[in-house]
Amino acid sequence: MSSESILSVLTEDLLVRINDKLNDELDRKTWRLVCKEFLRVESLARKTLRVLRVEYLSVLLRKYSNIDTLDLSVCPCIDDGMVSLLLSGESEGWALWKLKSLNLGRATGLKFSAMEMLIRACPFLERLDVSYCCGFGDREAAAISCAGGLRELKMDKCLGVSDVGLAKIAVRCGRLERLSLKWCMEISDLGIDLLCKKCPELKHLDVSYLKVTSESLRSIASLPKLEVLAMVACPLVDDFGLQFLENACPLLQEIDVSRCDCLSSSSLISVIRGHSGLRQISAAYCFSELSPAVLHYLKDLKNMSTIIINGACVSDTVFMTMSRYCRSLAEIGLSKCIGVTNMGIIQLVSGCINLKILSLICCHSITDAAISAIADSCRNLVCLKLESCNMITEKGVEQLGSHCSLLEELDVTDCSGINDRGLECLSRCSRLVCLKLGLCANISDKGLFYIASDCSKLHELDLYRTGIGDDGLAALSSGCKKLKKLNLSYCNNITDRGIKLLGYLEELSDVELRGLGKITSVGLTAFAAKCKTLADLDLKHCWNIDDKGFWALAYYSQNLRQINLSYCNISDMALCMMMGNLTRLQDAKLVLLKNVTVAGFELALRACCVRIKKVKLNASLRFMLTEEILGILHARGCIIRWD
Amino acid sequence: MDKKDRLCQETWAKSSSSGNELPKNISTEKPSFINFNFNSQQYEQKWEDTSIFGSRTNSSFQEFNPQSETQSLLPSNPNDHIKMADQENSQINETLQTNKIPDWDPRAMLNNLSFLEQKIHQLQDLVHLIVGRRGQVLGRPDELVTQQQQLVTADLTSIIVQLISTAGSLLPSVKHTLSATTTPVGQLGGILFPSGTGMNNSVQQQHSSGSKVSDQSNQMDVTGNCGTEQNYSIEEHEMKDEEDAEEGENLPPGSYEILQLEKEEILAPHTHFCTICGKGFKRDANLRMHMRGHGDEYKTPAALAKPNKEASSEPVLIKRYSCPFTGCKRNKDHKKFQPLKTILCVKNHYKRTHCDKSYTCSRCNTKKFSVIADLKTHEKHCGKDKWLCSCGTTFSRKDKLFGHIALFQGHTPAIPPDETKGPAGPSDKGDENEVANKVGSINYSFGSGGANGTGAQNVMDVKGGVDDPASYFSPLNFDTCNFG
Repeated sequence: MSSESILSVLTEDLLVRINDKLNDELDRKTWRLVCKEFLRVESLARKTLRVLRVEYLSVLLRKYSNIDTLDLSVCPCIDDGMVSLLLSGESEGWALWKLKSLNLGRATGLKFSAMEMLIRACPFLERLDVSYCCGFGDREAAAISCAGGLRELKMDKCLGVSDVGLAKIAVRCGRLERLSLKWCMEISDLGIDLLCKKCPELKHLDVSYLKVTSESLRSIASLPKLEVLAMVACPLVDDFGLQFLENACPLLQEIDVSRCDCLSSSSLISVIRGHSGLRQISAAYCFSELSPAVLHYLKDLKNMSTIIINGACVSDTVFMTMSRYCRSLAEIGLSKCIGVTNMGIIQLVSGCINLKILSLICCHSITDAAISAIADSCRNLVCLKLESCNMITEKGVEQLGSHCSLLEELDVTDCSGINDRGLECLSRCSRLVCLKLGLCANISDKGLFYIASDCSKLHELDLYRTGIGDDGLAALSSGCKKLKKLNLSYCNNITDRGIKLLGYLEELSDVELRGLGKITSVGLTAFAAKCKTLADLDLKHCWNIDDKGFWALAYYSQNLRQINLSYCNISDMALCMMMGNLTRLQDAKLVLLKNVTVAGFELALRACCVRIKKVKLNASLRFMLTEEILGILHARGCIIRWD
Repeated sequence: MDKKDRLCQETWAKSSSSGNELPKNISTEKPSFINFNFNSQQYEQKWEDTSIFGSRTNSSFQEFNPQSETQSLLPSNPNDHIKMADQENSQINETLQTNKIPDWDPRAMLNNLSFLEQKIHQLQDLVHLIVGRRGQVLGRPDELVTQQQQLVTADLTSIIVQLISTAGSLLPSVKHTLSATTTPVGQLGGILFPSGTGMNNSVQQQHSSGSKVSDQSNQMDVTGNCGTEQNYSIEEHEMKDEEDAEEGENLPPGSYEILQLEKEEILAPHTHFCTICGKGFKRDANLRMHMRGHGDEYKTPAALAKPNKEASSEPVLIKRYSCPFTGCKRNKDHKKFQPLKTILCVKNHYKRTHCDKSYTCSRCNTKKFSVIADLKTHEKHCGKDKWLCSCGTTFSRKDKLFGHIALFQGHTPAIPPDETKGPAGPSDKGDENEVANKVGSINYSFGSGGANGTGAQNVMDVKGGVDDPASYFSPLNFDTCNFG
């Protein structure tokens, strides 16, 4: 009676508008479960779909026929057979027909013929992601090029794609605006040159890790609309190459020349001179010294917001120039910079008060004075990375806690000055999402209790090699309900009780439990039975867990995607069971399993060969496994790492 | 007797003093001769024309023929139009006749002989007639006798010409023996001695100092000229090869000697060629032995021992070569004749341009060559020539392919079929679709056609794919079937 009245008040368009406000996936799930009407509205209004299991793909596509974005990157078994099955159904085809964005990341089982069929089934495709399809080559690139309307293409680590494949795409997808070619190692200057000639609309281009030379920069300079250029680790590009950009690409906003060994800091001058609209410069581990002359040119860049010069040699004058000229800076990366002093930082933050992200990783001489200045000046600070800043004590952290209320991410890994009192102060940063406390030997359950009680938004917590015990986990499991990622490796005090409590964290998906010698099958079983969302589990060196625990994992943790079982006491049977039963498993590290025989490995690999994408095995197995299974794995695009 | 002598003298005097008379008479006589041959009205008319011009242009008649050789080389020779027209007329006649001769044909020979037989009979009758009349008409013998004599002379001349030409058709088979003794041009020209050529030749033979040989070569030129118009298209297909490299040479015509080897000579498997007559030999030693026949200077022990005989000899006239193929740009009768530099050039040019490509590459089984060296060059790169464009053009270098692709809209590099990965059907078909029509880009279910495509490399397969009904799924069709 009452439900009827609610529905009569809430018209469909109102329901749709409410539905649109629900951003969190879990909230949407709750919404769906309310009633059939809500479910119907949700399915009609839904635009994006991230499929976890191939079994449900057809059903989901039929149900959500209005989607324009389909993400299959975490879905195993995306292969030729699946595609032809998918395309044989009419309603699935209809859903694909309207698709604008498709993510096929890590779809290593897909071959060019099926790829082409799939691409042709999506005539309005604008965005495509085939990153980490390591086996992809020119044929697959040719298949991709059938999507003539493509505007955005990510093909990171498609290792086989050469200039020929790129030429196919460049010629046929002339409207490309964003293209990422990271790690497509076969591509050379010729391909880039043709790309730049055929795709004049390019705005974002990533040529990181390619063996391109300055000649490519000459070609890239001809792109009239280029806004973002990433060329990380292009060791063959020199200063001469960057000079091509000086009077070209008028819309250039971001440039990343990190780890380009042949560049000197003066090469940046030519880029800066020509582009007053530059917003972001990344030049990490690029030049040994940042000359003040470069910074002098920075004063012309009114929109400058990000400078990343990790690994550079800096002096106080650099910071002085920065604070004077780059007042709008929002992000500064000074990781591993040599010459970062308290004075320098104090200088810097006196000018750059709008800083949101600051990285001072491994700036060992930083002390509380600098932290206080940062906390005092940069009230908008969101992310602060202080890994290995050993001189920082609770006083500095106290300043952060009292001033930086907007802080969301804090990395104090290996800061031995952080103690329970420091954590108490930090807990005032209630917006914290990510907290890294690894190697902080002086924190205990008591400190964690403060964090757990106040930082309810925490998504990620790193407690690697800390003295945390079961009590701390008890606090976490009750306080940080949003926790998704937890690292408890080598926290040797943790026992089955603590692990059992982790089961109460409903959203937990990534858990590292390396080297926890005290946990047994009992704890793991209880945890697995409760934690349905577990996707990534590291049990390396958990030598006290026996087959019962692994049976439980195989039975309960159906969402498990990655697992590390190295050095575990798992038997042939349990391994086969796990590998066969975990239908989402894509990455397994199976090194030094002393109870598993070669036949056991063979069977386990056969059980999972259709979906596994990456497996790490002992090198000795290389010649003991049959050619057949290795052949199958290879044909499926599975990468085997021989340890 | 006196009278007779006088008459005789008069005729000779007349004919020698005033050349005017003779051609006129000959040309008036011609119709009967031609009639006999072809019974064609057209020819009669044409020869009538010639007779008209003949009287007018007579003064230049003798120089006209010797000139014709240079004329064929230089079309802009300042001759008056009448002469040109005249020449053209005769050209047509002559080509028609000569075209039948070049190859030794027993039937043609028989025709010629029977024609000669008839001709001789006719002449015999004529002489009989004259003998018969001589007694009757004594009153005014001067003119008549002269006429009769001229008539007989003309007929005899034509018979001789006919005989020689008939014998000439046999020459190719015996030319090797001849070549050693006659001059090169003579040897070359002799083969194509036209039957029933105009009287001009035979007349000149008697009156002008021009040798018979040069006359015949004139005839050759005329035929060549005519053929040029017909075979003009051939030179379009001519391969661009090393012979073109010499185009910049620009030797003035006449500053070099033109040699023209015959087809058989060119295609003979010889590697050593006589620089004087062009005869080819398999061994240099044989050539040197042959050279002895060209004069005593080649008989010295030094010349016989040393292959390097040019070093000592006097400055030789530059030699250039002509392709025997009528109408070829490399043929000396072509308007824009470009001579070939060496005999090797002649050989390669002739084989590449005018011969079948009989050497097939054993690797790709598609490329064919007529020169074995070309095949070997190709085989060196065959297979390495892997840079293929969707338009079918191949490139030996990647950057050349990419330059090509950058230049042309819609061209993409073709992916070579991969033996290990199985059929390359779909992707190749995609290429064709893209280039041919845009149907492919909006296909709904292309796959059914694409999946069974077996290594669809050739165009036929590709076309088949396009015709596949599955690939004609237009967006419109799809819309209607879904929205009802």
